[in-house]
Amino acid sequence: METEETTSDQLGRSTALRLQQLKGQLFEVALVAATLVGILAVLALFVQISSDAFQPETASPAWFLVYLGTLVGPTAAFTLYARRRPAVRETNAKAFAAVFGGLLLALVTYAVVDSLSPYDVFTYAFFASLPPALVLAYDRTTEDRTYTGPAIPASIIVGVAVAALLYDFVRGPIGVAAEWILYFGLVTVPAALLVWTLTASRRGRRSGALAGGIVAAGGLAVAVASIVTGANASLLVVLYSAFIVPTGYVLWRSVRTDPEGRVGVAGPFVLLGGTLLGAAVVDQFGIRSPDSFLTPNLLLQSWDGLTASNAGVYPQIVGSIIIVGFMAVLAFPVGIGAAIYLEEYAPDTGLRGRLATILEVNISNLAGVPSVVYGLLGLALFRRTLGFGTGIVVTASGTLGLLILPIVIVSTQEALRSVPDDLRQGSYGMGASRWQTLREVVLPEAIPGTLTGTILALARAIGETAPLVIIAIATTTYSPPSGLFSSGTALPLQIFAASANAKPEFRHGVVPAAAVVLLILMLLMNATAIVIRNKYGREN
Amino acid sequence: MSESDTSPKIQTTIETGDEGRGEAPLNARDTVIEARNLDVYYGEEQAINDVSMEINEHDVTALIGPSGCGKSTFLRCINRMNDMIDVCRVEGDIEFDGKNVYDDDVDPVALRRKIGIVFQKPNPFPKSIRENVAYGLKIQGFDGDIDARVEESLKRAALWDEVKDQLGSSGLDLSGGQQQRLCIARAIAPDPEVILMDEPTSALDPVAASKIEDLIDDLAEEYTVIIVTHNMQQAARISDRTAVFLTGGELVEYDNTAKIFEDPEEQRVEDYITGKFG
Ligand SMILES: Nc1ncnc2c1ncn2[C@@H]1O[C@H](COP(=O)(O)OP(=O)(O)OP(=O)(O)O)[C@@H](O)[C@H]1O
Ligand SMILES: [Mg+2]
Repeated sequence: METEETTSDQLGRSTALRLQQLKGQLFEVALVAATLVGILAVLALFVQISSDAFQPETASPAWFLVYLGTLVGPTAAFTLYARRRPAVRETNAKAFAAVFGGLLLALVTYAVVDSLSPYDVFTYAFFASLPPALVLAYDRTTEDRTYTGPAIPASIIVGVAVAALLYDFVRGPIGVAAEWILYFGLVTVPAALLVWTLTASRRGRRSGALAGGIVAAGGLAVAVASIVTGANASLLVVLYSAFIVPTGYVLWRSVRTDPEGRVGVAGPFVLLGGTLLGAAVVDQFGIRSPDSFLTPNLLLQSWDGLTASNAGVYPQIVGSIIIVGFMAVLAFPVGIGAAIYLEEYAPDTGLRGRLATILEVNISNLAGVPSVVYGLLGLALFRRTLGFGTGIVVTASGTLGLLILPIVIVSTQEALRSVPDDLRQGSYGMGASRWQTLREVVLPEAIPGTLTGTILALARAIGETAPLVIIAIATTTYSPPSGLFSSGTALPLQIFAASANAKPEFRHGVVPAAAVVLLILMLLMNATAIVIRNKYGREN
Repeated sequence: MSESDTSPKIQTTIETGDEGRGEAPLNARDTVIEARNLDVYYGEEQAINDVSMEINEHDVTALIGPSGCGKSTFLRCINRMNDMIDVCRVEGDIEFDGKNVYDDDVDPVALRRKIGIVFQKPNPFPKSIRENVAYGLKIQGFDGDIDARVEESLKRAALWDEVKDQLGSSGLDLSGGQQQRLCIARAIAPDPEVILMDEPTSALDPVAASKIEDLIDDLAEEYTVIIVTHNMQQAARISDRTAVFLTGGELVEYDNTAKIFEDPEEQRVEDYITGKFG
């Protein structure tokens, strides 16, 4: 007869339990393996592409030593130093955002405006900003602010429409002005206004006006100096306003108001200085650099299908930026608006509720439709039905816009859904209307999530190739698009075309280098959105 | 220092409130809210069954009853928070100052500005403490001194001393009890007439709960308070009148709190209060 189990028997490890545990461990190992395979595959791809693009094996060891000493070493030392000092780290992040963000903003603005014609951009920007400025001015004079919010987007639309109507009349007189004056109006004036309001909110009206005035005067001085010396006045004015001014503002403020973290402003300069110093040393001693395919030529020239060292993708880079930028203007308001309607306004029951459900199901399905199909849709819709020209920017932007619309809608819905219902109830219970609840409570909470979705959408759009082939976007053009209705071009298309080039240095050099450029473009967009998202997340 | 500045005392007695509370003759005060033959349905299911009751101005009225008997539903009908639930249907009248709140010309948004609500789970907005309290003022376009109002409301909610140095920090950084007092401050800042509370202390520890009970006592000087609670002692301590709902959404007995707890008319009520069923 079996005796009763003792407690220690019951608590001991039975075979069943041991098996159970073994299964758990095996599962965990499998998960880790899967993760590693994924990461390694992507890493191997990156290493392959960038080693083709940069050709590091062609450089002499001294080259690596020089940059190790001037760039890698100091940067690592600075990072180690900053790691334990949160104040330094924070200032460092700000300085990086200001320096590189400003530089990027300046270059992209200049490249895009330059290709679209500064005269046209100025005409539209001027007419689009005048009505909202009037609305804001009126807003200051009255007590009743109920209509200010909706009036602003409406007034911008009116402004653009007026610009389109009056274009033929005003374009002539505006055309008389020198080019840099238009850049001054487009970039320096907003920068001066921004500095003005920021300073005014901290240190009073007079300092604000003074600071704004200094920024504007500086812009004029830069323009005059570059005209005298024969430099490109437009580019310098843009660099001054979008790069020097924000960098200067952030650095000056950090150094003055943040004694603990002020060392952090050195971060970007360690990087820049290291690069320049390294280049100087390499040049001085005639050290052999790698025969990289990622050269200034690649970034600044137009295509040359015969000589790899002359091939450039400047028109394609600018074309991609213009297409994706205009796509964002078209698709984000529509997508975010649709998501807000479906999530916050559409009823759950009744006929309209059922309609909303059908819509939602279809939208999630659309997110998975192959991009070639969107190309066909774009062709049918924009080319055949609306009669736009073949391969023009609006067609490309519209097609890609349709492509990313479901992604934007679904991720925005997701973000809205994750806002706890308690908060809505709390707001309604305070006597807030639906719109007030949305604006004050729901949207601020949903913005980081929405941005994540739009990041994904942008990243997907900038790399899309198939739909652009179908709507016949040009591969090799020698200048970037000159307007929204002129023929477009895009970087992934050029990569695709060049990969069929007979010469191996194209296939194994220029193509990977252009792919690196595309990846960097994508990463920059992501980084921008992540910075915005984190900033928003922290403020809330 | 003003009176509301003193830190709240912790009440330890479980007897029926202070003198006066719970013993005033019926109808001694004006009626602010009156329900008449109220029925509420969620789809087919009836949650409130033919409820009629009058609620007096500046009273603390407690709603008690077993889970699912419709207390929250009744409360949410008063300021039309049920409008947001698609399947919810209300029949009968609820009058606020003599006006049926379900009339077509009543704007629920305007109504909720008069009748504030505090929920079971503290739900401060993810904004600063100051912005939380100023929220109602902001959305109602208040153009007076917002900071003064914020301070006054926080003092009345017995929270000022604890947060006066961190008004700019997030409301979510407070403890649960502080968050609930913040929500009360938020509700009283726009100066409503009635405050509805749905189990405001059930997520809190006894000390935090008793602070809020003291607070409710003070609030009754200026506001009409209707509170749902599962805690019999709490109902007995803080309320003037008590309404007992039982399963099916029926209002079984409604009287002075002292009467309900000492000598209820209905056997079912006595059973519920003494824990024999529920
Ligand atoms: N949104 C809703 N949709 C459908 N039915 C609901 C909804 N809210 C409540 N009910 C139903 O109405 C009845 C009353 O619910 P109510 O929330 O008013 O009860 P309660 O007395 O507050 O209960 P508790 O003490 O548990 O909070 C319950 O049967 C519940 O199932
Ligand atoms: Mg309830």
